[in-house]
Amino acid sequence: MVMRPSTRLQLFKRVRRIPTSRSSHLGRNVYSTVGASEDYDVVIIGGGPAGLAFASALAASSVVNSSLRIALVEAGNLDRIRRWSQQNNGYSNRVSSITNDSKRFLTDIGGWQNIDESRTWPMEDMQVWDGISDSRIVFSASEIDDLVNPYMEKHFATRPPQLAQLTENLNLQRSLLLNLDRHQVVEILDNTTVRSIESEAQVDDSIGGGWPILHTSTGRKLRARLLVGADGPNSPVRKYARIESYGWAYDTRAIVATLFHAPRLEGLQKPNSTAYQRFLPTGPIAFLPLSPTTSSLVWSTKPPLASALSTPPNNGSGATTSPPSPGADPEILKLMINAAFRLPEISVRYLHDLILESHSGENKLTASQLAEEIKWRERSHGIDQNSAFSCFSSTEGIPPVDAEALPPLVTGIQTGTPASFPLRMSHADTYVGNDTRTVLIGDAAHTIHPLAGQGLNMGIADAEALADTIASAVAVGSDIGSRTALLPYSRSRYFENHKLLSVTDKLHKLYASTLPPVVWARSVGLEVVNELDSVKAALMFSAGASSIRKDMEPGAKASHAAATAFEIGNGVVNAVGLLSRSALGLARAGLAGLANSSGAIRKD
Amino acid sequence: MLRISPLLSHSVRQAARLSTASATSSTVNAEEIALFSRLSSQWWNEKGEFGLLHKMNPVRMQFVREKILEVSRDEDEHAAAKLDSTSKILNGLDVLDVGCGGGILSESLARLGARTLGIDASSSNIGIASVHASKDPSLPPSSLTYRNVTAEQLLEEDQRFDVVCSMEVIEHVDNPARFLHSCAELVKPGGHLFLSTIARTPLSYLLTIFAAEHVLRLVSPGTHTHSKFVNPSELLDFFTKSPQAWISRLYGGSPSRHQAEIRGLVYLPWKGSWVLAPRGAWGATECNYVFWARKPMDLQ
Repeated sequence: MVMRPSTRLQLFKRVRRIPTSRSSHLGRNVYSTVGASEDYDVVIIGGGPAGLAFASALAASSVVNSSLRIALVEAGNLDRIRRWSQQNNGYSNRVSSITNDSKRFLTDIGGWQNIDESRTWPMEDMQVWDGISDSRIVFSASEIDDLVNPYMEKHFATRPPQLAQLTENLNLQRSLLLNLDRHQVVEILDNTTVRSIESEAQVDDSIGGGWPILHTSTGRKLRARLLVGADGPNSPVRKYARIESYGWAYDTRAIVATLFHAPRLEGLQKPNSTAYQRFLPTGPIAFLPLSPTTSSLVWSTKPPLASALSTPPNNGSGATTSPPSPGADPEILKLMINAAFRLPEISVRYLHDLILESHSGENKLTASQLAEEIKWRERSHGIDQNSAFSCFSSTEGIPPVDAEALPPLVTGIQTGTPASFPLRMSHADTYVGNDTRTVLIGDAAHTIHPLAGQGLNMGIADAEALADTIASAVAVGSDIGSRTALLPYSRSRYFENHKLLSVTDKLHKLYASTLPPVVWARSVGLEVVNELDSVKAALMFSAGASSIRKDMEPGAKASHAAATAFEIGNGVVNAVGLLSRSALGLARAGLAGLANSSGAIRKD
Repeated sequence: MLRISPLLSHSVRQAARLSTASATSSTVNAEEIALFSRLSSQWWNEKGEFGLLHKMNPVRMQFVREKILEVSRDEDEHAAAKLDSTSKILNGLDVLDVGCGGGILSESLARLGARTLGIDASSSNIGIASVHASKDPSLPPSSLTYRNVTAEQLLEEDQRFDVVCSMEVIEHVDNPARFLHSCAELVKPGGHLFLSTIARTPLSYLLTIFAAEHVLRLVSPGTHTHSKFVNPSELLDFFTKSPQAWISRLYGGSPSRHQAEIRGLVYLPWKGSWVLAPRGAWGATECNYVFWARKPMDLQ
């Protein structure tokens, strides 16, 4: 009985809502006439690296910060990022290689100055090799140096000593956030979700589309001259702008984890500053150095294997109904990582099958059984126990001669870091909404396979280009929400991103093949490129390793042209792969038979 | 050749018209006003009829910004540097946009801090321009107003402006000399006059009429009349002679950059954008160009 008045009130509310929904069916916007909305020039949705870098760039531009009202809306709690610190010298499992290009921009806008440099690590060399043929390419920061030195000296007092700087995403986000706090230009609305985005009603179609109005979970109404979608792969802003996205999911998940290992021997070996990546047919496995004894893993592989190796422990509480499970055994993950970098492909594939069998419940495998299995396979492949290619070589004493061709042996995995996420390639049809005052940056515009380590750098390059576009539009009094004002951004980024997306996609596909002619062609290609220093320099240029792109000189332009030529070459190789795909199944069956027979020998 | 000979006779007539200011009370051409009134609903469709004009706007505004900053730099370098770091470089100035159309240029001028008045002889243009501006909170009536009057009518009201702009208008009026005279009179001593138009050359016929109107249909056929185009030399000539002797002398056909400047506006189809050609770039003023001149302090 006591409940009645409130029930009636609810009923009343519900009745009042009906005309709202009906009128929205009619295309009219009731919200715009009810309650006051707050006008902003720029509303950024998403406090990830791209959104924060874009906000920082706007805040750093004097033309922009003196004239625009800017807000950043983030669903999460940004205080947790401001106060972020990792316990026990550990590292976060999300690490990105910040290219010199990105670092130059971040430094310019003050976004690098609060970074904890002691938690970042230079990547000076990069070794990439074919999982089947073992043909290898080595990139070295000192090489670009030698090649572009003639004019590098004119631009730099100090040479860029690195290809990229490995940085935890949280470290970068915190630094950008502290920079924004210092500027006090961008209003940060965190712990705020966007309930809905609506287009303001227009009396007359001839004056262009209405401004977007955001309804937030905190009850505010933000009316935006320009709505920036930095809101990730499932971007609500992209949906509001009715921009289609083209792409496909890879049948791949990326396992990430923070790895511990012994330090490289001082004096005898280079410090832990080399990144390693081995292309297995199931996907590339990459090792990114973070400190002398810590590195980060990004292992793209088939989804069942990823979940078998990286399922986090589940204590059975909370909303999940699944029974408590201890999660994947980190010992097994550790052995599998070492084996994936070292064993011949055929054995790696056999181990995958063992793990999957064990995960599905039959033939439960313990870490010691797996270790025995790996030892047996090493013996049968004739791998010397003392060579670097052994997963059990001693970490003490004089290192084996080929030690630097491989990452150091993983000795442990930081608790709680193993995780995996699905991989997708996607590209929005356009970055600028049609008459909707919307623009997309970062993952909202494109997602990429992590094999080239370019995802975050692309988002940062978007942020730079959009901030530049807006600053020049403001300087000449343009309406920054208009299509004309935003087109320069689209023009400078769309094709650049498309090239990277398609090259990365094709590399993934090229290396997923086990067909002998394809393996031969890609291996010869790689070995040849490895000998052509100028082409290698060009590749490093297009991967952002050099920060002199803005005012590139003729020599560098030639290198850039060479990079494009290489991309075309890649396309040709890929076409060969496609043509011979009909023969692929046959070859697969043959190799699988080989693997099975070797397994059978073992069982005998 | 068939095409060019009538062009030549036109240009002679045109030059003659520019040199003698007649006493007509208005320079407005009724047919032109009817055309732009018909098109007025198209003004803010950035992909439509006026798409090229939308794209041109940031570039002609860049010219305005550069010249205002350059003049201010000559007077006070420190103040100019400070001005350059803000967007409000026209702060506190009275600015007139003659032939504002849908308000593409007027809105930009207002956003740079100017007290802007946009005038147009077409009342439907003024209607569209007013409605569009009312939707933008950064354009309050204190910074931007529109009136359906002609330059000649405004002259009678004794209003004078720090900056007068008339972009892509002079090629649509009936008596360009009279029109120029009215615009010039509306500028305060020491103030700026910005014009943009199209040169009367075979190239401009090919690009703006043959290609843009008839082949590509980027703009409605009849938008431009080749004989009404104005050459840069004719503008310079007008401003070296009394009563509007703003330019003291020409150096090899060019004015001193303190008194006047002409720069080409070039559309790059492969980039989909306009660029402001560098000062003195060869052939850049053969088609679209912008003109700036500063009224001498001692000229009332």
